[in-house]
Amino acid sequence: MFTKILFATTGSPTCDNAAKVAFDLEDKWDAKLYVFHVLGIPTRGFSQYITDVRTGEVEEQDSDYINWVKEELKNTYDKLITDEKNTLIKTAIGVPHREILRLARKENIDLIIMGAHTREEDIGATRYRSIVGSTMQKVAKLARCPVVIINRPCTTCWKLFSNIVFGTDFSKATDSAFLFARNLANEVGAKLHIFHTCEISIGSAGQVKDQEEIEKMIEKAKDKIKTRYISKMKGFDNYEIEVREGIPYVEILKFARERSGDLIALAHHTKKIKPEDAVLGSTIEQVILRSSCPVASVNHPDKVSD
Amino acid sequence: MNLITLKSDGIISRSDSDLETDLLSLLSCQIKLEKKFTLRSCFFMLEKYPMLSRLNPFFPAIREQYNTCPKNKCIWDEITNLEFSKTVEMTGFPKKRLEIYNTFLGVCEKERIEIKSMQLEHLLDITINLGKVRHIIFGDQIDLFEFDTVFTLFEFIEGILWELSFQTNPKHCEIRR
Repeated sequence: MFTKILFATTGSPTCDNAAKVAFDLEDKWDAKLYVFHVLGIPTRGFSQYITDVRTGEVEEQDSDYINWVKEELKNTYDKLITDEKNTLIKTAIGVPHREILRLARKENIDLIIMGAHTREEDIGATRYRSIVGSTMQKVAKLARCPVVIINRPCTTCWKLFSNIVFGTDFSKATDSAFLFARNLANEVGAKLHIFHTCEISIGSAGQVKDQEEIEKMIEKAKDKIKTRYISKMKGFDNYEIEVREGIPYVEILKFARERSGDLIALAHHTKKIKPEDAVLGSTIEQVILRSSCPVASVNHPDKVSD
Repeated sequence: MNLITLKSDGIISRSDSDLETDLLSLLSCQIKLEKKFTLRSCFFMLEKYPMLSRLNPFFPAIREQYNTCPKNKCIWDEITNLEFSKTVEMTGFPKKRLEIYNTFLGVCEKERIEIKSMQLEHLLDITINLGKVRHIIFGDQIDLFEFDTVFTLFEFIEGILWELSFQTNPKHCEIRR
């Protein structure tokens, strides 16, 4: 399913959880894994000096330094590298998200794997600023392939995935996320949980929806799931439909926990705007931040269509 | 003057009288914790004053987990106490900004550890202490200072519920059908 995987890393402990999943995937699909590290932002245009991502020191970017960084990366992931032939350690100098996207485009990457942050203390501060790191945000927005974000230790190996949760709000963008989730569930033999939340907090001020009205909304959503997704199952029958009422990110997380979800697949954004112009939706941001399992953000149909 | 005490049985008291009403006016009060105030005391408090639990949409799910936990001995040997503290962070790059946020961490000897991935059943009977304000200057090259500070009831409840709203790691992975 994936022949080329790009694992973008800072080489710091914040990427360790993502690293485990990346190497696990490479092993499962016998894919080519690009372990990619952006050395640092040049101190000024075309400068010989860069700021090292790990130490924060200004370094001269000569071949010795680059080789040293590659060696460090190799040592960092030494225990995880089981297939040296299919693992390529690459570095670049520049703005991280631009270099990641450049490599993904050049190598025709099928899947990008990243941690949500590059600095540990971001997690604490995220509540008062945008929740995910800016590099991840920009990569998720512009990448043509699915981006899997791993924020927490992943206890289940990818190859043993048994429950994939696909969250939908019926927007066009979620169609790509559905295809990714269905194909993956089919490939690894997992159960696909198609989930929708009827957002009852939205409505005229002060109006409270009664139970009958909520139940009607739920039934309507179930019918919509059947016409929109079940008709595209292509023989895959290991699925479940669930519709609940509440706040979308709260309910998705609750549902994923109840079903021991191993992966949550969501669209990058859901509003009717061009993918390139969209910012990461608040639902997916909240889910990425809090989920104990990996979250896949799918933005384009390119790598997931039939 | 504006000091309230959070008792280990969940009661909020001011000047030795237990408070039953007018909770909103208490949110800005400075808090003091009774010596044996644990995370379980926090749940007692939120059960006694349900309006306070509305500060976080995840509370109903957290309460469900809480109800499945044993009634006592919910501790983790390595954690001596839980610490609620505050961080003031100045960042100079790429944009200048100042962040102020609360943290709720486990204290293991002198080290602070994240409790996000831990099960509630390992935390409930651990004592909570109020910590200091940590002043961090310029994110990556960290200079750290610590100062005494005060916390309000709002900060305390909202900060703890925020931390508990992270999904813990699953107890075991479900092996393929």
